[in-house]
Amino acid sequence: MKIEAVGKPAGCKLLRISAELTEPVNDDCVVGAISIRGDFFAIPEEKFEMAESRLRGTALGKIGDVFDAEIRDLGIQVMGISGQGILATIRGAIDETSLQDTANRA
Amino acid sequence: MKHPFRILQTGRNDAFFNMGLDEAILGSVADSAALPTLRLYGWNPSAISLGYFQGITDEIDIEACERQNVDIVRRITGGGAVFHDAEVTYSIVIPEGHPLAPSSILDSYSVICSGIIQGLRELGIEAEFAPINDIVSGGRKISGNAQTRKRGCILQHGTVLLKVDVDKMFTLLKVPKEKALGKMIEDVKARVTSVSAILRGEISFEEAAKSMRTGFLRALNMDAREEEPRPEELAKAAELSVTKFRTREWIYKR
Repeated sequence: MKIEAVGKPAGCKLLRISAELTEPVNDDCVVGAISIRGDFFAIPEEKFEMAESRLRGTALGKIGDVFDAEIRDLGIQVMGISGQGILATIRGAIDETSLQDTANRA
Repeated sequence: MKHPFRILQTGRNDAFFNMGLDEAILGSVADSAALPTLRLYGWNPSAISLGYFQGITDEIDIEACERQNVDIVRRITGGGAVFHDAEVTYSIVIPEGHPLAPSSILDSYSVICSGIIQGLRELGIEAEFAPINDIVSGGRKISGNAQTRKRGCILQHGTVLLKVDVDKMFTLLKVPKEKALGKMIEDVKARVTSVSAILRGEISFEEAAKSMRTGFLRALNMDAREEEPRPEELAKAAELSVTKFRTREWIYKR
């Protein structure tokens, strides 16, 4: 399943996330290709792409903790983005998709 | 103690050269070939600069920009998309470890933004720092700023809005699907202000740039020398303009 998530979770700037998720979509589903875009800051910028690519293969429920750990390990300073913010944005899009599916079936 | 600085007033240039020159200055300061540097500049033609992490097709109506002769460039700094039209832009490059370059990113935004706040005060406008990276007057944004750190230096650049044409801006920027254009425009008009809106009169680029220069000198206690960019910097800026900032690979990076 491909999701397009947009959100401004607490403590974050605008985040736009495109991600492939295995089905069924729950906390144990696996994140495939993922792109995180938005108004946030990450220094050094070039290393952020490394952190982003390392999210591939992560269980959705762990993506926030994995992101925070990667940022720490790679020595990246971030402002306006966090692991919890990424997870909340993706979950928001999943909830919206579920609601739409329910509405479509009704 | 006063801090030796170099000031460059480089006038209006296109977006690609502007971003190239900021990066070239970063290189000069990193190589100790130049003093810490404050640069004041403008944009011709008008342009939209994208933050490093923004997706171009998420944010910008590319065809509208082409129709209206508005360039699109990606910055080396994060943050949001900026429509550079009637504004004074600054960049400042300071080596890390310098007294004006606290290691905390938030603290360094606050220190550097004090130059803009003092510059606005020179124009009769009271403003304050609004973390992470904005300056507001009367609760409305008048300046946005973005910072990176490379090669042992801080590069921060930002804008001071002289006039805002929100209607034109939203012919160039995309509006989130879930928001109505009219509502979005009204929201931004309520959240953003400009020097001319506050002073109820137009102010020239030159006059505003002069005030920003004075503001930085006072707030950051600079002992500043007015200079021209070094020939090497101009050559590097021209090279980066072509080999990096104008390239599809860079602009469409995300």
